[in-house]
Amino acid sequence: MWQKTYAWLDERLGLGDLYKNLLDRPEPHGNWWNTLGSASLFLFIIQVVTGIFLTVYYTPSPDHAYDSIQYIMNEVAFGWLIRGIHHWAASLMVLVVFVHMLRVFYTASYKYPRELTWLVGIGLLLLTIGMGFTGYLLPWHQMAYWATTVGTQIAGSVPFAGEFILQALRGGPDLSALTLQRFFSAHIWMLPALLALLVGVHLYLIIKHGESHFPDKED
Amino acid sequence: MNEETKKQINQKYERKLEHGERFWPDSIFKDVIVALGIFLVLILLATFVGVHDAPKADPSDTSYVPRPEWYFLFLFKFLALYGQIPVVGKIEWLATVLIPGIFMGLLTLLPFIDGSPRRYYAKRTMPIGIMSIMVLGIVLLTFLADVPTVLADGSSLLGTLQTIAGIVIPVIAYALFIFYAYKTKENAVRLTIITALISGVLMIVFTGAALALHQPPAVETAEVPHTLADQIVAGQELYSLYCVECHGDDGATTVIEGVQGLEGLEIMAINGKDVLYTLNDASLVEVINYGRPDAGMNPFGKAYNPEGLTRSQMDYIVTFMRYIWDDRFEAPEIKPLFPELAEGEVPSYEVHIQPIVKRYCISCHRPGKDSNEYYMDTYANILNSGENAGKNVIAGDMNSYLLQTIQGTPILDASGAEIIGVMPPNGSLKPDVVDALVRWIMAGMPETEAEADALSAPTPAP
Ligand code: HEC
Ligand code: HEC
Ligand code: HEM
Repeated sequence: MWQKTYAWLDERLGLGDLYKNLLDRPEPHGNWWNTLGSASLFLFIIQVVTGIFLTVYYTPSPDHAYDSIQYIMNEVAFGWLIRGIHHWAASLMVLVVFVHMLRVFYTASYKYPRELTWLVGIGLLLLTIGMGFTGYLLPWHQMAYWATTVGTQIAGSVPFAGEFILQALRGGPDLSALTLQRFFSAHIWMLPALLALLVGVHLYLIIKHGESHFPDKED
Repeated sequence: MNEETKKQINQKYERKLEHGERFWPDSIFKDVIVALGIFLVLILLATFVGVHDAPKADPSDTSYVPRPEWYFLFLFKFLALYGQIPVVGKIEWLATVLIPGIFMGLLTLLPFIDGSPRRYYAKRTMPIGIMSIMVLGIVLLTFLADVPTVLADGSSLLGTLQTIAGIVIPVIAYALFIFYAYKTKENAVRLTIITALISGVLMIVFTGAALALHQPPAVETAEVPHTLADQIVAGQELYSLYCVECHGDDGATTVIEGVQGLEGLEIMAINGKDVLYTLNDASLVEVINYGRPDAGMNPFGKAYNPEGLTRSQMDYIVTFMRYIWDDRFEAPEIKPLFPELAEGEVPSYEVHIQPIVKRYCISCHRPGKDSNEYYMDTYANILNSGENAGKNVIAGDMNSYLLQTIQGTPILDASGAEIIGVMPPNGSLKPDVVDALVRWIMAGMPETEAEADALSAPTPAP
């Protein structure tokens, strides 16, 4: 029965080919440093899942954001766990992505033919940091509010374009309901969508070129 | 890179693949173990460390010291140190835009800048040296995040140490790396490694010195009340401090007494339906924030009153008013103000009197308020301050002014004119509160629980 179902599905989906092309690939001898990329991916998935749960209760308005977080922490069943994981995984993701970048740097895996993988990776690093920056404001507490005030100020110190950047980030001269709305939208739609897209490209390139080997004396 | 090198690279890779492993199951196995480990760590962190709390955002409280996420701390520190440098330190965008921009640009274009096919570590000492110093710098600056650059006494020793560790040494090391790469062809590798190690050690030493010289101030972390009951209690404490003088401990005051400038002003009770049913939470917060300046209530928002209340604090007061006074809300179980006194038990300052005074008296009896300079903020002040210090609280004497006034007897001078009115002026205390104060003074005002226990009549054996 099971074999029949499998055969039927395989005919239509090409499961066997998928297995051959995605999973049953040869690789050079790896070690634990090679797990950092997949760890970044795992953390990204965790963030997506816990983040989706959080949006069920979170309200992006200055009047309710703080209280909705309090509600998640104190009233919603396991809300504290979901938020706790989202909070810590965010920090960990920045760390893991950064260390992954370092390992790629030290093993010189960014060289031919993997230059584009590196370039896309830089995009991923920046997006990950952007997720951290936009997410930090959402609880709308003192720390978040003032850190974001200073953060956007720094972005506003760019010569000539600074004023424009500042206004674009804040949606006005000061932090306001508009800023929160903007950061929320960036945090749950724009940045994750871009991130998912780039992760896709990144993974395609990795499968295409295969994992690089650790350099030896001849390299 | 020419076609020949590319072919060599690809052939080498093919050979490595032949002696390698399979993605499934070899690599996946490790990936899954790491993922499980991460998941476990996350659950432990979420459960046992939790999420650090902060009070609600308050745009008017500009005194708040911002603290970004930890992975931005090094940037903040870098900006602070950079600002110390004479002349260029004043050109902000050099540090905020240009320098980070250059580094990000170099990092992005790395595969094109470093286009050589060499991959072995010893053949890449310069980029590895630069990156290692960079990463070490980032880590050290993160550790230094809380060390000030200029001390209160104007000394900039700490700032200098930090600038040396975080900016000067790396810059010198980088200059040397570049010099070696172009001038000392044959020894470059050895020199680069030695320089990197020495710079790294020096950076750590200077950072350590700055950390060792810095005495962190005792940080007082504001507890954020979580449960509804905690928020109500927090609200009541704030109400007791800021509002009792005019509105009374139960909000029922209709004639203000004992407040300079507002003596005899008629107001409406704020604990009834008139106020609580007509004003929603947001409007109540607004009343507290902006006050009723024309009617005599000063604003409490931080924007108008530097010693005022934050947004969270106003929210707690409103929560308190709702749950304690508004009959549409049912309050959760709340601990009584002080534990009930048994027959013959003597109350102590710590356990009984301090909460009573905080609730009923401190609003008027604290520095800055006009109440005969009788400050009830500490044990010593309760015993010994005020214009009539010495008469207010006398051990074992029912004629202590405090005991007379709280029992409805004003103090008169020789000619029969009232010098001290009844206390609190805008209402009377509940019998159990009066009883506690009477027992405390009659027994000699014990401060600690142990002293009070020693004075208590022994509990009859059961
Ligand atoms: C200096 C005296 C004073 C203090 C302190 C004070 N109030 Fe008032 N409050 C007033 C006066 C006067 C009014 C006007 C009453 C009226 O119009 O009947 C008032 C009115 C109010 C009202 C009713 C407003 C309305 O328009 O119906 C509320 C609610 C209120 N106060 C809450 C508070 C709270 C909460 C605090 C503590 C943070 C506080 N007050 C502290 C003097 C004071
Ligand atoms: C609404 C403000 C207010 C509150 C609340 C209040 N007092 Fe007073 N108290 C005063 C003022 C004003 C005076 C100065 C004498 C006068 O004007 O009656 C005073 C004076 C006193 C004095 C005499 C001090 C001296 O050295 O002359 C005592 C004792 C005293 N209060 C006890 C208390 C106690 C105990 C409580 C709490 C149960 C309390 N008061 C609550 C306003 C207040
Ligand atoms: C969201 C962030 C990222 C995810 C999910 C991700 C995912 C992955 C995965 C799964 C791999 C293969 C396994 C491994 O070698 O660890 C990989 C490899 C690689 N990554 Fe990333 N990555 C991210 C960020 C980055 C960054 C910031 C860079 C560098 C700037 C980068 C550059 C590379 C390169 C060059 C490889 C190929 C390594 C090799 O073949 O040896 N990646 N990435």
